[in-house]
Formats: sequence, structure tokens, C-alpha cells
Amino acid sequence: MPASGPSWPRRSVLRGWSTMPDHRRTITLTAVLAGLIVVSTVAAPMVSARPAHEIPVSEVSTADLAEPDADGWAEVPASDVPLSSAPSSVPNADDTSIETVDVQAARTDQRLYVRLEWQDATRDTNASTPRQFADAVAVQFPVNTSSRPPIAMGGPDNRVNVWYWSGSTGTQELLAGGAGSTTPFQNPTVQANASHSGTGGNATWTVVYSRQLDAPSENRTDLRTDGDLDVAFAVWNGSNGERSGQKAVSEWHYYPFSGGPQGPPYETLLWTLAGIAIVAVVGVTSFGIYRTRGAE
Amino acid sequence: MSTDQQDEQGEDDTLVNVADGVDHQVAMVMDLNKCIGCQTCTIACKNLWTEDGGSEYMYWNNVETKPGEGYPRGWEDSGGGWESSEHSDRSPGEIPDEEDYGRAWEFNHEEIMYEGSDEPLRPRDGAEWGPNWDEDQGAGEYPNSYYFYLPRICNHCTHPSCVEACPRSALYKRQEDGIVLVDQDRCRGYRYCVEGCPYKKVYYNTVSKKSEKCIFCYPRIEGEGPEGETFAPACAEECPPQLRLVGFLDDEEGPIHKLVNEYEVALPLHPEFRTQPNVYYIPPFAPGQHTEGGETVDIDRIPRQYLRELFGDGVDEALDTIDAHRQRVRQGGDSELMELLQDKNPAKQYRLEVFDDE
Repeated sequence: MPASGPSWPRRSVLRGWSTMPDHRRTITLTAVLAGLIVVSTVAAPMVSARPAHEIPVSEVSTADLAEPDADGWAEVPASDVPLSSAPSSVPNADDTSIETVDVQAARTDQRLYVRLEWQDATRDTNASTPRQFADAVAVQFPVNTSSRPPIAMGGPDNRVNVWYWSGSTGTQELLAGGAGSTTPFQNPTVQANASHSGTGGNATWTVVYSRQLDAPSENRTDLRTDGDLDVAFAVWNGSNGERSGQKAVSEWHYYPFSGGPQGPPYETLLWTLAGIAIVAVVGVTSFGIYRTRGAE
Repeated sequence: MSTDQQDEQGEDDTLVNVADGVDHQVAMVMDLNKCIGCQTCTIACKNLWTEDGGSEYMYWNNVETKPGEGYPRGWEDSGGGWESSEHSDRSPGEIPDEEDYGRAWEFNHEEIMYEGSDEPLRPRDGAEWGPNWDEDQGAGEYPNSYYFYLPRICNHCTHPSCVEACPRSALYKRQEDGIVLVDQDRCRGYRYCVEGCPYKKVYYNTVSKKSEKCIFCYPRIEGEGPEGETFAPACAEECPPQLRLVGFLDDEEGPIHKLVNEYEVALPLHPEFRTQPNVYYIPPFAPGQHTEGGETVDIDRIPRQYLRELFGDGVDEALDTIDAHRQRVRQGGDSELMELLQDKNPAKQYRLEVFDDE
């Protein structure tokens, strides 16, 4: 395209703008601004904001997802899930070191895959001296997906399924009905693959869990649910002595398996309020300017 | 079972206080004046319970020289126990380092036995600490140096801070006899018990990744052996000088009750940890100090303050009581206390079947 090509319409617009009377200029500017704000108010949530605790799940037909570095994960969106120290009565419970975990999820018609990635400079896979603890990560689901259990290991009437991987003991599938009640299933049906890559402060652990969608037995979460599936995460840094209740945990999040509208997310509400407020301020200001000039 | 409440109500005048929910409490009295530091108890225990992989470094029973660092090194300063006698707040503790327990050394057997090396037999490298590294070192200056041996097992405490430390209730004090055990199915290797025990008598198995401890040889006291007979714990039965009495604290006819509660000459180790141990010690006597000329003078060789630090303030009265009874027997009198401390009849020394009919 020639560089001089598009210059003429701009010039004519400017000419028109400069010949416009002052009060009409103000009104036009106000209208344009207000229009932009309304557009952004409506469009912004549609484009970027999903509800804060929703973790998208990609529906995929074939899965090359079992390994942490599998190609299939490149197409799956990631969510940054913030972590904080779990409330717990164990010593040093508030001394945790992992602040965020990247979560990806994908579902075939047979299996759910969950990929977790977090920064940890030290690869602690050994618990073979009295003071050594291993890095670990866990994903927690309600056993009964229709209600949300207490976040800390569920409750006696509302149990949780936990997929647990540790650098020293490998994968475990756990059932818990409150803190201290965690019990491993005899025959785990969860698979996990882990890798630690990079060096120094940028080194990361990546763990991929997968399990068949159908509940393999009683007390295991049915992942073929039509409703949203609650999910929470926990990470332990072994070299910081983290184990048991000394862990970095997320709040409850959910996988939007219901597919339907997600209710009014608070971001949309905030955007709308902000938009109305800005329009009002611009309008009042412009009107003020117009009145002042008209009085001269 | 008797409680403080019953005492107040006058229904039961005994002072025996076993833990809530426990029917009877096993107990042991060790007479430190008889210990020769031979480690037969240590080996008897090790052969029975801690020979498997991951437990090599453990000594559920150990004998350490006092004064000394002990096993694991510095355990007396490693924290644990209770903040107050309310038993509501625990003191934080530390997990001892591998080096503080002491690693199994590798020796140059191969070179000497098969390769004709002229080197002396010695550890290959890294032999800088181990259990009993400071054996017989003690304290004091010639001619008034002193030491004694302190055999230690789990105290099966009335208020076990290891039990309280476990977020999973994997440790428990069993109802029938108050023995403190680790449920190997519940344990997930968190090691809060290891750091929470002020005596450092819970150990982490580095292969099973679970915690383990002295079980007071409960299969022996339950008569689970080949002959169906009841035996005292191996550390007691195998002791050459037979310095241990084994029974129940609340067996009021037994020697333990008399030594602990009536004569008050058997004392718990470090009562300030407030776990209320059920292993008790007859404190050690030593000859008086010597002058440079070799004359014996009436000054304690083992500083009394050191014994108070180990066994609490009750040690003065305990030593005085024993001394008084000794004098009485020397002068031809009778003393039940001296009989109890000298008894060599196993039927009296080990009273483990007194509550069998209940």
C-alpha cells in the first residue's frame, strides 16, 4: 500500500472537525467517549474475564497429554492459581514457600488430564534421612460432586478424593473426611508423571495426573459429571520441611463441566458499575464546560 | 484405676495416677548403681526389633555415658515435651540430624582380610561421631573424674507429647497397659512425633518412611513366644547385672509401686519435660572425692546439682533415703527398701501377670 494513499480522508475529517462549532465539538467528543466506554464495558468481560475460580477444561478428541512435556498441552489454556499457607495446627504451618501453581486441564471422552506446574528451585525426591522431606503436589475433588466439602480435607459427611504425588513415594489416591483422616486406596487408579526441569530460581516441577472419567469404585469422584466439578490444589516444598498441614493450598476452584451460563461473575458487575460511573462523570463534566462556554 | 479426683473424694488413698483411658500402666525401674555399660540390653533389643533395612541407625534401647552428649547427640536440648503441667501446649522440638544419631561406619575389612593390607583395622572415612563416641569420658578432673551409665528406652509416658504431636493419631497409648505404639497403617512419615518427643525415642525408618519406637516388647509380655510364657522386655531379661524391675505402676503390691510411690527413691528422667515418664531410675552413688594425697573426703564426686538436672529436685531426698536404709542394714537392722533393691528373684522382679484375671 502506498504511504500517501490513506492520507486524504484523515485530512477531510480534521477539516470538518476544525470547522465544527465549539459546543457541537464537545457533544460529539462526549458521545464518542461514552460509546467507547459502553463498548468496552460489554466487550471486556466477554473477551477476557472468566469467573475468578473457574479453570477451563479443553475437550480434546485424542490425547497426547500423559507426559508433562507432551505436545498436546501447548493448545490447552493455563490458569494461574494462587496458593497460601493452609490453616493447620501442625508446627510452622504458616511457613510455606510456593505461591502459585499453573493448572491446565483437558478431557477426552475417556479420561481427565490435569497438568500442574510450579516453581521450585530444589528437586527434593529423597526422604531417606531423618530430616529430608520430598516435594509433593495434590489435587482434591469432592467424592459427591453435588456439594462442596470443607476445603481442609473435607468433612466426615462430605468426603474428598485426593490425587497425591510425592517425589519419594510416587502416586497415591487418597480418601479423607477431615484433617487427619487421610487414607490411601489399596489400588490407585490415578496415574501421574512428573518432571523437574530448568535450573536455579526458574526451575519448575511439572506433574500430570490422569484418571478415567467413570468412578472406578465407591468413594471415588465421578468425573463424567454434568455439573461443575469443584477442585482444589496443594503443593509441598520438601526442602522447607513442608509436609502434612504445612502446605501451600488454593481455595476451591471448579471445572465448568456444566457448560451452561455461569451466573453473574463479579468482574462483569464491576465493569458495568465502572462504565456507568465514567459515563456519568464525562457527561457532567462536558455539560459543565458547555454551560460555561455558553455563558461567555 | 485411680485418679486425683478419687483421691480428693477419699475413695482411694493411693497416689498412683495412670493416664485417662488407660486401665493399667506398665513401668520399669532401672538401678543405675548396677549398670556396667556392657550394652547387652542394646544388642538384645537390636537383634529383636531393629535389624531390618531403614532401622540400622536406631537404638530403641541405648546406654549412654553421663555426663555426655548422649544418643542422639544433644537430645536433652532438642526440644519437645510440654510447656506446662496443664498439658495443653507442646514445646516445639527438632528432628535430630543423621549425623547426630551416627551413621553406620564402613571398615577396611576387605583390604585387611583379603588384600594383605598392613593398615590397622579402622573406619574408612567420616567417622566423626556415633553412639557412645564419648563413652566413659564423663567429667571432672583426676583424681575426681566421674561418670555413670544411663540406659534409655521409650518412657511410655503418661502424657506422651509424641502422641499429641501426630496430626493423624497414628501414635496412641493402648488402653490395657499404657504402652505407646505407632500404628504403621496410619503413619505417613511426617515425623512430628520424632521432633515432639523430648527424649528422642521415636525414630524415622528411612526405608518404610514411617516412624518406629520401643514397643515395650509387648509380644513377650503378652506371652506370644513359642512356649506361650510371659517374658519381660528383652532389655530387662538379658541384662547381666539384672538392674531392671518390670511391672505395673498401679500394682500396689509390686516393687515398682513401692520404690516409686512409697519410698520415692526411683525418679523419672528430666521431669521438667512434663510428659510423666513411666521408666524410673535409682540415682547413682559414687565414692566421695579424693584429695591429691589419695584421701577420701566427704564431698560428692557426682555433683548433686548435675543429678538434680537429670532427675529433678527429688534426687536429694531419694539419695538420703537410700543412705539411711543402708546405714540401718549396716548396723544389723532390717530394710524392705534394701531387700527390694537387692532382690534376685525373677518372680518378684518381673510382675507382669498380676492383672491377667481381669
